[in-house]
Amino acid sequence: MSTMNTSAVSGIDGHGDSLWLKAARKFKRDRVGMWALFGVFIYAVIALGVVFGFWGGAWADVTGPKWAPVSAEYWFGTNIIGQDIFARALYSTRTAFEVGLLVAIGATALGAVFGAVAGFFSGTWIDEIIIWVMGVLDSVPFILLVAAIAYSLGGSPWAMHIAMIATFWIGTARLVRGEVIKLKTLEYVEAAHAIGLGKVKIIFRHILPNTFHILLVQATISFVAAIKSEVILSFLGLGVKDGMSWGLMISESTFEVLAGFFNNFIAASVLMFGLVMAFNMFSDALQDALDPRSVK
Amino acid sequence: MIAMTAKARAKSSDILLSVRDLVVEFATDQGIVRAVDGVSFTIKAGETVGLVGESGCGKTVTGLAILGLIPSPPGRIVSGSIELQGQDLTQLSEPELRKIRGSEISMIFQEPMTALNPVFRIGSQMIDVLRRHQQLSKRQAHAAAIEMLAKVGIPDPAVRIEEYPHQLSGGMRQRVMIAMALSCGPKLLIADEPTTALDVTTQAQVIEQIIKLQSEFGMAMILITHDLGVVAETCRQAIVMYCGSVLENAPVTELFAHPRHPYTLGLLGSIPRLQADRQTKLPIISGMVPDLLHLPSGCRFADRCNKVMQQCRQQRPLLGALPDTSTKVACYDPH
Amino acid sequence: MTPIDANLGFKQSQLTEDGSQPLLEVHELKKYFPLQGGLFGRPRQHLKAVDGVSFSLNRGRTLGLVGESGCGKSTLGRAILYLQPPSAGQVRLRGQPLSSLSNAGLMAARRDMQIIFQDPYASLSPRRTVAQIIREPLDVHRIGNSAERRERVEELLTIVGMRQNSLNRYPHEFSGGQRQRIGIARALALNPKFIVADEPVSALDVSVQSQVLNLIDRLKAEQNIAFLFISHDLAVIQHVSDDVAVMYLGKIVEQASARDIYAHPQHPYTRALLSAIPVPDPRHKAQRIALTGDVPSPLNPPAGCPFHARCPVVTELCRTDVPQLKPGKGEATHFVACHLVE
Repeated sequence: MSTMNTSAVSGIDGHGDSLWLKAARKFKRDRVGMWALFGVFIYAVIALGVVFGFWGGAWADVTGPKWAPVSAEYWFGTNIIGQDIFARALYSTRTAFEVGLLVAIGATALGAVFGAVAGFFSGTWIDEIIIWVMGVLDSVPFILLVAAIAYSLGGSPWAMHIAMIATFWIGTARLVRGEVIKLKTLEYVEAAHAIGLGKVKIIFRHILPNTFHILLVQATISFVAAIKSEVILSFLGLGVKDGMSWGLMISESTFEVLAGFFNNFIAASVLMFGLVMAFNMFSDALQDALDPRSVK
Repeated sequence: MIAMTAKARAKSSDILLSVRDLVVEFATDQGIVRAVDGVSFTIKAGETVGLVGESGCGKTVTGLAILGLIPSPPGRIVSGSIELQGQDLTQLSEPELRKIRGSEISMIFQEPMTALNPVFRIGSQMIDVLRRHQQLSKRQAHAAAIEMLAKVGIPDPAVRIEEYPHQLSGGMRQRVMIAMALSCGPKLLIADEPTTALDVTTQAQVIEQIIKLQSEFGMAMILITHDLGVVAETCRQAIVMYCGSVLENAPVTELFAHPRHPYTLGLLGSIPRLQADRQTKLPIISGMVPDLLHLPSGCRFADRCNKVMQQCRQQRPLLGALPDTSTKVACYDPH
Repeated sequence: MTPIDANLGFKQSQLTEDGSQPLLEVHELKKYFPLQGGLFGRPRQHLKAVDGVSFSLNRGRTLGLVGESGCGKSTLGRAILYLQPPSAGQVRLRGQPLSSLSNAGLMAARRDMQIIFQDPYASLSPRRTVAQIIREPLDVHRIGNSAERRERVEELLTIVGMRQNSLNRYPHEFSGGQRQRIGIARALALNPKFIVADEPVSALDVSVQSQVLNLIDRLKAEQNIAFLFISHDLAVIQHVSDDVAVMYLGKIVEQASARDIYAHPQHPYTRALLSAIPVPDPRHKAQRIALTGDVPSPLNPPAGCPFHARCPVVTELCRTDVPQLKPGKGEATHFVACHLVE
């Protein structure tokens, strides 16, 4: 009796559903996952510190000599014109989170809606149009698409974000579509039809919430992909326009590496590697924890 | 064949399988679940025993334990012994068990679609099994497979053997499974809900076939089922399980004529039966099966029993022979 | 008599019985599923899941619909509720053809007709609480204010025999039988007049099955709800039904009062079905009518009588002519589709 009451109470408190609680409990037992989460957390603190102006504010100031070595004053040394690489690396972390979060949220939301609509109306013209759009977007080389979007937006700093969202949602949409095709035949969806619930409400109230585990994992994957793509795009000059990023740092370092100065290159690539690695491991652990087959 | 049946009958008093105090546990997120808790029974050669109970009572786990097929982790045989003709199966290594599986003991499952590999023709799957346990050439195995398919009542076996599982109906697939299970002449067949996924008319055909083959091959069978009708028709002995333990073990005629345990009585009463006059209300067993994680300390059935006493809640009644009967029952106050 | 007349005759006989209009009338209902296959995605073939079914149902009565898997019984239930709109034929609820209704009209009609599902695990949304699930029909149809809805949900829980502390819990915290009760509470929320119960106890254990069957029996008596009770289990059907229809390959092959069909089955298929049930009594000697082969695919239904390939008493006529549902022997409400019953 007492156990019943506590579980009833935890059902209310946990609001998000005790399936989530179970997944959280499972995640907590995954040591690699917990370490990865800790790593991501540290990066997040760094990024927030930049946002609130605690550090990294001086990334654009020329404060020292050209190519100063690692020292107490310049932790990572200085670059070709004497800017502090440490400050630039910190500021770039903020950029990475900004790009990653925006793209992850945008692409996942777009993928969820289009995937769910396509899946729900699978076999009809609505589904065929969405599949056709996905096919078209998928067949344009990514970098060409960014260039095209950047050109059409008149060199807007958001061109990169928009281009990534415009392509990254497709993978999520495909997965969600498949899941929705499976879910829509389930009896609880039929029950919703039977009580007279409208189609839009059925999609958003009964179907999409049951794809959250896919969306969460897809969001983490998009986050990592966005950070990696940012580096490539910035390197090519299609990425970050105002501000600093790991990609720009690596781009800068091309001249320096030829001259035998590696600080810029190492700082940017190691920091990026750390975040991508931590996030990937976090994403894997999340997938395991959310796997419905192992959540009893 | 006749000689074989006679031999099987002559030895029918021999104990083929003896399960003693079997305990199987599974580790779950919420804690350790004891799926089988102190189960004991014996099976004589050539005998058919029904293992009856509702979902979660441990009947399937008991069957898997006999074959050494408990998925580990999370499952584990904690204690007890399973002796096949004097050899304790729980002490055998995996390669030794593999030799016994298929040749000495076979199992057929509820869902014949998932038990057959969809990408191979049924012939090649049968030939694999035959050649794993017997010294046969490919051609001999092929011939033997066709013969087995004919025995389980598959028309045109030479044609069917070239087909893929999805080309067969549910009843036919289950027959193929039976043919594979019997192809090496096992001494014991464990049939886990073999007809539950089938339609009534198909079920009748398959049961008939199983009974026929069983007497032909002189093998013993453990029939795991929730359907008391199937037990009444096929088995000589029935073991009633509930929450991982045996509540009653009796000859089928005894069990149906005089159910001793209140659970058996309730179970028999609650089945809707075909009869001339329709009952207005079905007798029920109130409440529900307790959670295996929070089992009552005394008798597992105490909370649902209408004859419950103080003693039942304190100590679990052990399975004991009822005087002047061949029934064993785990109850302080049997009917 | 043509089949249509035969069915009208069936309705007439019920009409005179209690002098009111039938609650539900199903007339020559068909549900075909087009199969993609042609070069341009044009359907080349149709799967005839339901192929011309007629019956009527009065208030508070239960029609048991029995048949083996793939015979179209579940599709029939869903076609009647317009969850899968029928391909042809008519469904009339209190005389009103559902096909004449607008979307809004159909939504309003859904208040009167509900469904209970087979799988207690798939029929409840896993991320919604019991209270949300049972309340949803009231929300959709804007019945009562918030307090009244809460009161109604509590009342429904009591009706189906669940405790009030279940309200804020999630479906996965309950056993199969309890989940089935929650599904029944949801179906009852709008006070329906007619419920399709699609194999509601097949997934349940015996001891729980009898509890749910008794609950359905009580609802029928107390709330005067008409049921279309779909099952493959003849014993369960006998227990709950007033009338029984036997379906085979999309068609009704025999239909009669429950008493009559079990006492005097006339179609060879019904007889075989009845004889195939394992009887929980070891002294009972089964007198099986052996059927050979399997149910033919509804994609290639045989010519003539759909049952002829498995029928133990098949004649030449059966292979060529489709038998129509006509009055059989005995009771006037007994209908059989068999050439051999005259």
